[in-house]
Amino acid sequence: MKKYYPSVRNIHLYFGLFISPFVLIFSISALVLNHTDFINKTNPIKNLPDIKTRIDKIPYDTTDLQTAKGIIKKLGIKGEIDYVSQNDNQISFPVILPGLTTKIKINKQTKEVLITRKEEGSLRATNFLHKMPGPHNVKLRGNSLFMQNWKIVADLVVYILLFLSASGIFLWYFLKAERKLGWVAIIFGAISFTGLLLLLLR
Amino acid sequence: MKFKMLIKNITYTNRRLHIHIGLFLVFFIWLFSISGLLLNHNDWKFASFWEERNLNKSVTPINIPPGLDSMQIIKNMLFQLKISGEVNNVKLTADSIDFSISYPGHVNNIHADFKKSICIQNKLSYNIWGKIRTLHTFNGANRNNPSIQPNWLLTRVWRFSMDAIAIGLIFLSFSSWIMWYKIRKDYSWGYLTLIAGFTIAIYFVILLRL
Repeated sequence: MKKYYPSVRNIHLYFGLFISPFVLIFSISALVLNHTDFINKTNPIKNLPDIKTRIDKIPYDTTDLQTAKGIIKKLGIKGEIDYVSQNDNQISFPVILPGLTTKIKINKQTKEVLITRKEEGSLRATNFLHKMPGPHNVKLRGNSLFMQNWKIVADLVVYILLFLSASGIFLWYFLKAERKLGWVAIIFGAISFTGLLLLLLR
Repeated sequence: MKFKMLIKNITYTNRRLHIHIGLFLVFFIWLFSISGLLLNHNDWKFASFWEERNLNKSVTPINIPPGLDSMQIIKNMLFQLKISGEVNNVKLTADSIDFSISYPGHVNNIHADFKKSICIQNKLSYNIWGKIRTLHTFNGANRNNPSIQPNWLLTRVWRFSMDAIAIGLIFLSFSSWIMWYKIRKDYSWGYLTLIAGFTIAIYFVILLRL
């Protein structure tokens, strides 16, 4: 097994360096998600000026999503359509980019468009990325190119993280000087983990 | 000379901490990685949980002393029912109280009728996959009112653990850069991988919305 040590070490190092910025995204956003109140106080959301415009024709399509996609194409807005709500008088939907939420409301009769935007900042951007693609609105999710790419990146980060933890154990095992303390860390971690799960899951 | 010794000591301690904090966190990393994958892949049939959920309705006699506020009523009821968890969605009227109590994998919607002195419990329980999924998101946060703090001790403990794991992972990232920097001449591809990672991350977090 020891013959694999140098190659495992190299892969662990390079993969670790590559995903470290993404690990930061997920870790920082975990703190943001747990302390939303603090973030709201220190980093308030900025409402950008509303935009009122008009479109010549609503590009109705086979589905609400396709219609919304046609509308944002006409308006020159990019992002992930979160959901679409529609009634006899209006069609409205949010378009999200990490850190920027744009809401579009169109009057079906007059074709008047109201665009409201919220600048949410980089911390909330990590928050949004952490939750994406997520378990909600599965049928709609991935309607923008960036979300399709993020889906791949998010999965890749998790698989690499799993590899890094396994390869980390492999590398540690061959470090005789760290073996004793390493066992203490693993056992202490296992006890904390099991104890917490037993208490929470019952 | 002293400065060199200090740097040597810092890098040595950093390496040891990287190893041992990583080993301590390994089970937590596996839990959050797997639960993260489950949340992003609703279509994984082997891990379906919603279809396998358990619903259980029960009616229990209950005695609510008059003149209590909503929190006191809930405390009293939970004591009588011998249950605990994170309390949410409280609605109190003159004749009844409604609230839900949850812990990972379980949601119990409770309705108490003061006049009839009965308590109706609608319990929803998930299988192991559902429990793993809810552990990932169980932080007591209230989306509608972020200023509300978790009201169950174990929610606070779990949230503290999540914070500690996040801080641990941030440390592991920083320490990996320090470890690589020391041996950067032998691992020159490290520049490329680190820059590539940062470029993609910055693109998603900052550049996309500009």
